[in-house]
This record gives sequence, structure tokens and C-alpha cells, in this order.
Amino acid sequence: MLSGFDLFVLIFVLLIILTLFAGVKTVPQGYEWTVVRFNKYTRTLMPGLNLIVPFIDRIGSKVNMMEQVMDVPSQEVITKDNATVTVDGVAFYQVFDAARSSYEVTNLTHAILNLTTTNIRTVMGSMDLDQLLSHRDEINERLLRVVDAAAANWGVKVNRIEIKDIVPPADLVHAMARQMKAEREKRALVLEAEGHRQSEILRAEGAKQSQILEAEGRREAAFRDAEARERLAEAEAVATKMVSDAVAQGDLNALNYFIADKYVKALESIASAPNQRVLVLPVEATAILGSLAGVSELFKSAEAAKEARKPTRPTGPATSGGSSGGPMVGPIG
Amino acid sequence: MSALSALGVWSWFILGLVLLGVEVAMPGFFMLWLGAAAIATGLITLAFGLSWQAEFIVFAVVAVVALVVWLRLAKRSTEAPADNPFLNRRAASYVGREFVLEEAIVRGSGRVRIDDSIWRLSGPDLPAGAKVRITRADGGLLHVEAAAG
Repeated sequence: MLSGFDLFVLIFVLLIILTLFAGVKTVPQGYEWTVVRFNKYTRTLMPGLNLIVPFIDRIGSKVNMMEQVMDVPSQEVITKDNATVTVDGVAFYQVFDAARSSYEVTNLTHAILNLTTTNIRTVMGSMDLDQLLSHRDEINERLLRVVDAAAANWGVKVNRIEIKDIVPPADLVHAMARQMKAEREKRALVLEAEGHRQSEILRAEGAKQSQILEAEGRREAAFRDAEARERLAEAEAVATKMVSDAVAQGDLNALNYFIADKYVKALESIASAPNQRVLVLPVEATAILGSLAGVSELFKSAEAAKEARKPTRPTGPATSGGSSGGPMVGPIG
Repeated sequence: MSALSALGVWSWFILGLVLLGVEVAMPGFFMLWLGAAAIATGLITLAFGLSWQAEFIVFAVVAVVALVVWLRLAKRSTEAPADNPFLNRRAASYVGREFVLEEAIVRGSGRVRIDDSIWRLSGPDLPAGAKVRITRADGGLLHVEAAAG
């Protein structure tokens, strides 16, 4: 049916097609493909359309050039102060040299993972627990420096390493919580005591201030009282002087009149006191009154008025309910 | 063969269209040339009237030629600047930018913090706080020079 030439043509066309297949490579964005010639690396294909020499060139490995995320599985780490904590993390890395990442290291992800794991132990083992929990940035940075420098030989840039969880053992967490609580309580108590102290001081200050003020008031008052007494004494001295002057110059009868007047007024007030049942009349009153010759007229009239209402005996019981006014002293003409 | 001979020269055009359709459905930049070559072969056959063996050979040759021509064009198009020339080449995108050193460059190597990651530097010894300009990116290593100011 088919001649030799026919078969040759068919096979030739088939081979051409296969060769085209083998020679044309379109690399997707985000990847780079290494080309090996006789199994020796020659070059790297960039994203896009590429030609390789069929029969002798082949694609070695297809390397992902995008940034990749790698979970660092949780592991137990012993800190400097002998606490065992469980730590896990995450690493972000990006291949920048496809050839080196393919041929410098056997299993790239495995290598990076182990490097990260061991360095987490190293870094965390040199810190104590409190530092570990509060210095994550520092841990991340130290890890990044070490791992990045090591991975650079493999054509990889490690962009970040983050510690995700640091889980201390349960009893330690409990102890930490207790410590925290105690700390807070202590602070509360101290604050309370401080407040108490402050308030006591303030109160004492207030009392002191008030006492000082009071004393000052008393002192001021005493000064003024003394001054008043002085003034009074001065006035009395002046008045006495005036009276004695008047007496010296005038008539003694005038003085007597005044005394009698006062005496009668006093008697009147004693008599008109409310509920007064007993009238106390000084014994010597009459004598005094009697001695006042200058006012005898006056006295007589007053006596007459009194005789009408009151007993002359000072010890006598009050028989008459004379609650009317005192002796009516007429004006002296 | 009987079906093919019944269709005659149109079988090339049909093949070409089918191959182009396959290319659209499964982009691989490959069926495209075969399809183009098939259609070209059909045209040549219409013009000259060849034996089927000759048609096959012509098909193969045209396919290779189409590929070469296409590559010429493609090369020109890939050399045209893309929207984002620094895709997957982060270090290269830092070239020309200036940074302030947080730590000194000692014996030609140091580190600088860029975009929340730490990059290794190579350059002249400079104290911390000096301004540097990135001149060249070498994988994950940035070469710097002292920047004015």
C-alpha cells in the first residue's frame, strides 16, 4: 500500500512536529526553567517564549520564582531559664537564582526548614522565658539574619521569618496568671494605703489649720477685749473725773438726787420682775435713803407710794398681790 | 485515506482550522504554527497542485519556517517593556533607590532594612546613618555607593 518513500515522508513530518514540540518552550510568568545540555546545566529560560536546541537540550527543573510561604512546624524549645515552650512559625522566601536553587542544594525546602528550625532553637535557647514572650521582633530579626545569610548560597532570599505561637506549659501559664494577679493586687493595696495616708495627712493639716485660726481669733479677741477694757477704764476715769469735778464745783444734793433716782429705779425693776412674790429690800436701804437729806422730799413721796403697796419688812411674806408697777416717781420740777 | 482524498485540498484547510481551534482551547503556542502551516500548505496546493507526499513535506517545512518567523516577531514583542518589568525580580527593583544605613558597612558588607525585610549590602565602608544608593542587584546582594546628602 505505502511505498518506502511514503513512509519516510510520514515519519519525517512526524519527526518535524516532535522536534518543534521539543524545541519550543513557553515558560509561564513566575517560573524559570533550567536547561541542561547533556545533563549539564547551561542556562535558564525566562518567562515567555523560548527556543532550545532539540535532541541535546532538555529542561532540567522548573523553579518557582514567586515568594513562597513555608510553615515551620511546632517544636519544643528549652529556654535559658529551663522552661520548655512549644513554638511554631512561618517563613517567607523567594528564589532569585533558579540554577543555584536547583543545583547548589539537594532539597531546598527541606534545607530551609531545617535551618530555620535549628536556628529557632539557638536563638530561643539564649533567652529566658520573659524575654521570649516580649521580644518577638528581636527573635524574628535574629532568625532572619542567620537564615538569610545561609540561604543566600542557595540562590534564595529569605524575606521574613515570623514566630507564630509561643506556648509555655499549662502550669507555667497558670503561675504567670497568678503572678500577674498578685502584682495587681499589691498595686491596689499600695494605692489604697497611699490614699489613706494622704487623706490622714490632709485631715491633720486641716485640723492644724483650724486650730491655728482659732487661736489667732482668740488672740485677736483678747487684744480687742483688752483694748476695750482700757478704753472703758479711760472713759470711766474721765467720767469719774467729770463727776468729781461736777461734785467739787456743784451741790452734793445733785449727786444725791442721782443716787436716789437710780435706787428707786432699781427697786422698781425688782418689784416689777415677773412672778416676783418676795421683794427683797436691802436693810440699809432706808438708812441710805434716810441719809439723803437732799432728796427727802422725793424720798417721802416715793416712800408713801411704796407704803401703800409693799411691806417694809424685807423678810415678810408678800401678802398683797401688788404686781402693779413700781413707785410712780413724778418728775422733779 | 479515502475520506481525505474525497475532501481533496480542503482537508488541509480543515486541519488548519481544527489546529487553530485546539490552540485557542489549549494555549501552548504550538498548534498555532501547525495550523498556520496547514493552511499555507492548502494554499500552495491550490496554486500548484502537488502530490500528497510533496504536500506533507511542504507542510513540515512551512511549519519550521513559520516558527522561525514567529520567534523573530515574539523576540521583538518580549523585548518591549512590560507593565511591570520587575515581576519576580525584587532586588532589581531597588536599583537607584536611596536608603539610610541603620548599621555601618564594615569590611565591605552590611545590612539594610528595606520594605520590612533585611537585605545584605556590599559596598564601601560607611558609618551608620549614612545615605547609600543602590547601584546594582546581584541576586540577593545589593551593591551600594555613598549617596550625596
